[in-house]
Amino acid sequence: MAPSSNPFIQPDGKKPTCMEMLQLIIDNQVTEEQRLYFSQHMGHCLPCYKKYNVDMAIKELLQSKCCGGNCPDDIVAEIKLKINSMTA
Amino acid sequence: MELEEAPRQHYTENEKQLIFNNEFMPHIHSMYNFGYRLTLDRDDAKDLVQDTYLKAYRFIESFQKGTNAKAWLFRILKNSFINDYRKKSKEPNKVDYQEVEAYYNSEEVDRLITPDLRVESLKDMMGDEISNALNSLDVDFRTVIILCDLEDFKYEEMAKILDIPIGTVRSRLHRARNLLKEKLKSYAKTMGYNNNA
Repeated sequence: MAPSSNPFIQPDGKKPTCMEMLQLIIDNQVTEEQRLYFSQHMGHCLPCYKKYNVDMAIKELLQSKCCGGNCPDDIVAEIKLKINSMTA
Repeated sequence: MELEEAPRQHYTENEKQLIFNNEFMPHIHSMYNFGYRLTLDRDDAKDLVQDTYLKAYRFIESFQKGTNAKAWLFRILKNSFINDYRKKSKEPNKVDYQEVEAYYNSEEVDRLITPDLRVESLKDMMGDEISNALNSLDVDFRTVIILCDLEDFKYEEMAKILDIPIGTVRSRLHRARNLLKEKLKSYAKTMGYNNNA
């Protein structure tokens, strides 16, 4: 069940704009309650829906293509060797 | 918060080894990727990671066991990059970052560069387009994207890692995303997509 009042509203009563809500969602800085509210909001806000899909597609591309693989094994060995020589 | 100056800890050699192996080493792959995305060179990334871990061990008593080791390590790496790597590297005509930020913070520019991209065009970007687009951003914009989208740090953690206010983290992320979209839009155009359709 989606929350009825806007959980993005700040304690000072300031109501966020669509863009402000969207940024928090894309930046993954929201609570589950806020996420639920926003997904309900997108159901009747086409600009948010379109922008959300593009931004999330970019985020997923970044995560799948830019995580760069593992650190070479020799770095780990070299670090441990140097640490051991510091403590010896 | 873990990244603030913690009172100096006292660890035995055995405790230091345990912290190093159990709390620091699990982040080495993320650290290497961060180093690579900053320097855009695998050998430089290797040196940066090695240097960061040696510093982390040397200053291990500034770290409070069980707190946010990943953010603590990222901060050391970022500082090493700025203080050591950037000074050594010969970056010709380095752009003054504050000028860039002031430029991109103007509303007029925001209006002009907020690009209209379509999901369909992104789905066909199977190659290096996204990586090239990310790498082509100014390092300060690139950094916030890496910390947020690849490493899932919270605003507060990013602010501590980068030594900037949370508001600046948010605005920098916003500009970085728009710049990234602008790059992707030009790739999409070369792939035959008309993004304004």
